[in-house]
Amino acid sequence: MAHQRGAASSDAVKEPHSISLKVLRLSRPSLSIQHPLPLPTPSPSPSQSPGTHPTPSASLAYPSTKHDTFILSPLLTLPPAFGSAYVGETFSCTLCANNEILAGSSAAKTVANVRIEAEMKIPSSKVPMLLTLGPEVERVDTDTEVMEDEKRYGHGVDLAPGRSLQKVINFDLKEEGSHVLAVTVTYSETTATSGKVRTFRKLYQFVCKGCMVVRTKTGPLPSSCKGGKWALEAQLENCGEETITLDSVILEARKGFKSHGINWEVLREGEGVERPVLMPGDVQQVCFLVEEILGPDEREQEPVDGRLIFGILSLGWRGTMGNRGFLSTGDLGAKVTS
Amino acid sequence: MESTNRYHKALPRRPTRGPLDASDPTSNPLSSPTALPHQQSSGLSSPSRYHTPRLPSPNTGSNLSSTPSFKTATSTLPLTQKDFPHLLRPEIYHPLTLIDVPPPFRTPASQPPPGASLPSLLHGGHFRSAAIKASQLLTDPSLNPSNHAEIFALVYTRLACLTLCNQTALAAQEVKSLEDLNSAHYRDENTGIHLMPWELRVLAVRLQGMGYADVRRGVMGYYDLAREARLNLGTVKKNLATLSEEGDEVEKADLEVEMQIYEGRLQELGVRVASALIEMEDLEGAARFLKTLSPSSTAEGPSRLDHQKALLYLCLGDVEAARACIASSSQETSHDNEAKVIHALSHIADANYGLSAPIWEELIASSPTDGRSEVAMYKQNLAVCYLYLGRIDDARFTLERLLAPHPASEPSSTFHALTFNLSTIYELCTERSRALKIGLAEKVAEILVEQREGGGGGGGGEKVNGDFKL
Repeated sequence: MAHQRGAASSDAVKEPHSISLKVLRLSRPSLSIQHPLPLPTPSPSPSQSPGTHPTPSASLAYPSTKHDTFILSPLLTLPPAFGSAYVGETFSCTLCANNEILAGSSAAKTVANVRIEAEMKIPSSKVPMLLTLGPEVERVDTDTEVMEDEKRYGHGVDLAPGRSLQKVINFDLKEEGSHVLAVTVTYSETTATSGKVRTFRKLYQFVCKGCMVVRTKTGPLPSSCKGGKWALEAQLENCGEETITLDSVILEARKGFKSHGINWEVLREGEGVERPVLMPGDVQQVCFLVEEILGPDEREQEPVDGRLIFGILSLGWRGTMGNRGFLSTGDLGAKVTS
Repeated sequence: MESTNRYHKALPRRPTRGPLDASDPTSNPLSSPTALPHQQSSGLSSPSRYHTPRLPSPNTGSNLSSTPSFKTATSTLPLTQKDFPHLLRPEIYHPLTLIDVPPPFRTPASQPPPGASLPSLLHGGHFRSAAIKASQLLTDPSLNPSNHAEIFALVYTRLACLTLCNQTALAAQEVKSLEDLNSAHYRDENTGIHLMPWELRVLAVRLQGMGYADVRRGVMGYYDLAREARLNLGTVKKNLATLSEEGDEVEKADLEVEMQIYEGRLQELGVRVASALIEMEDLEGAARFLKTLSPSSTAEGPSRLDHQKALLYLCLGDVEAARACIASSSQETSHDNEAKVIHALSHIADANYGLSAPIWEELIASSPTDGRSEVAMYKQNLAVCYLYLGRIDDARFTLERLLAPHPASEPSSTFHALTFNLSTIYELCTERSRALKIGLAEKVAEILVEQREGGGGGGGGEKVNGDFKL
């Protein structure tokens, strides 16, 4: 869960801010669940209807005229909670700076030049990383609009009471551990008698967990020609809390080796690809054949520290509603026994 | 989806191929009457039995196979007297409170007139009041314990209405009073016909699975029902085959209607089994199961099943498989629209919200405005795209217009996901979102009163705090 840490206000003004900041993690929206009530069969004609049945559409996710008895509907619901954050996923979040001045309030304040800045503090680095704020600058046709855009995106926007400035950030999660999203809002506040630039900063902390554990094992295979041949096996364990579908598992071979997978992508004629589904705790075993490519004068590949390095394993998966995850292992190889 | 994580590891992966495949009733051993011993169920047995998953259950349905015709049996044999006093005990039915109901829905205008009849409560969408009314009628001393038609109709109303006012957990407790749905006590002694209406039996299966905290029970209960429907279907088909030689047109038409009913029931049970697997979070099992279903023979059959598969694949995250489901879909308009919905959802799954939005816009533009279409869903999904695209003002405007359309001739929508999404956007828009959310609840209450006064019924039904994130 994301915890909002105590708002660190960088100016000493005790007066409440005219701008509020609200955030929502933008995981994928979900399909709405419905539990359609069973209806009498044969359906009674309206005239002889016993009047003991609720309207058929009452149990549907939205007023559809089709009486679908399936639990999933195509209607989208926004994410209800922060959920879990996993290494390999893209963390998306929307930030809203809102003008909280009540329309028609006595103190005639106006706010202008509202800007949002966002940084991510990751476990391995003391220096926070500056995040790009979307949406991208929109397409412009004329020069005046360019200036307008620059004013809007480069130098902040003017917000009328009750209006919001919305930004979206995307960040690729690569490390386990505590992350802090730091958001700074700057704006100028003008009253009849004075004007000042005000700023505040809010911190949102969340923990990023591993979702995929990869264990590998290499074994030599008998080889007819001179170069070596190995089988690289890997166990992929879903240690997250969500069901995922494996999208691609590739052994990216280094120069001097070639590999080919003998997994689900190998199809018999007429078969369709059936991607493995891993429920929490499930393990999928994959295997690759690795062959050494000999140098021009039949020279074998040089071991490094007693190991031959084949390459890295890169995994891609999709979680609920297509949420993508990517992961690459470190160097994989075999010990040279001589 | 309720979280049922703890079931994950306990659930064995079982092949779910079964008697639900309607095409050939003789191919499946489960459907053959000889495969099951003719066994009388032991009446209403002790509740402890329900805590263990049942093996292929004592199936009184199998004695139906000896009935020459379902239809003639009912008309010629007298009904036996059976009493169901165990469903009339007041202690079964829990009191319902308004504790979870937002204040705007507790006002006199939002409440039904006192003494309203059950049909009028149901028509007005007063499901909480209807649930209370049903239990009052059930526990009224004047109700004859042998009037099974009335009793079961009221039990259905009670349970159905509880699920519609966010009290499914209570329904799951109360449904236990039905005990063993396959009990011989629920069958006519002469004909073997189940005395409960079909819709109650289907509803009770899911609720009992929840009530006994045994999710697999639900799946097995559907299989029991499917077995019976298949047996009946086989009998009807056999009768039809012998009849067609003699050529009695009226009887033949009757049998064909019956055949359609049983085929329809088998189709529906297939979808319900898949839904039950999804509800227990076995999405993979559900996907495998859906693959085994053959599309129904009706016009919308094939595309409907493909559509359902595609939604499930999207849930699983297998976007390519979802797209493949609609690749072969026909180009007729309504099916075409369903394919567009899957396309647009697939773009969202790929995080291409900018590609999804124009599809929803196009679907909205090409929809009639009489409310007899899927336009509410298109608009809601477009609004969700807007939010992900950083266009929160457009998102808010689209949802608010869906609630209170302009022009006012278009129907208002008040469904849960709409008020939930709008409340989420209000929370993003201001620190004072509570006032906006209460305002939203007031607006919805007003719309429901208007709809009821307009005689349009209250399909929107009951609202709870969770609908407005209050």
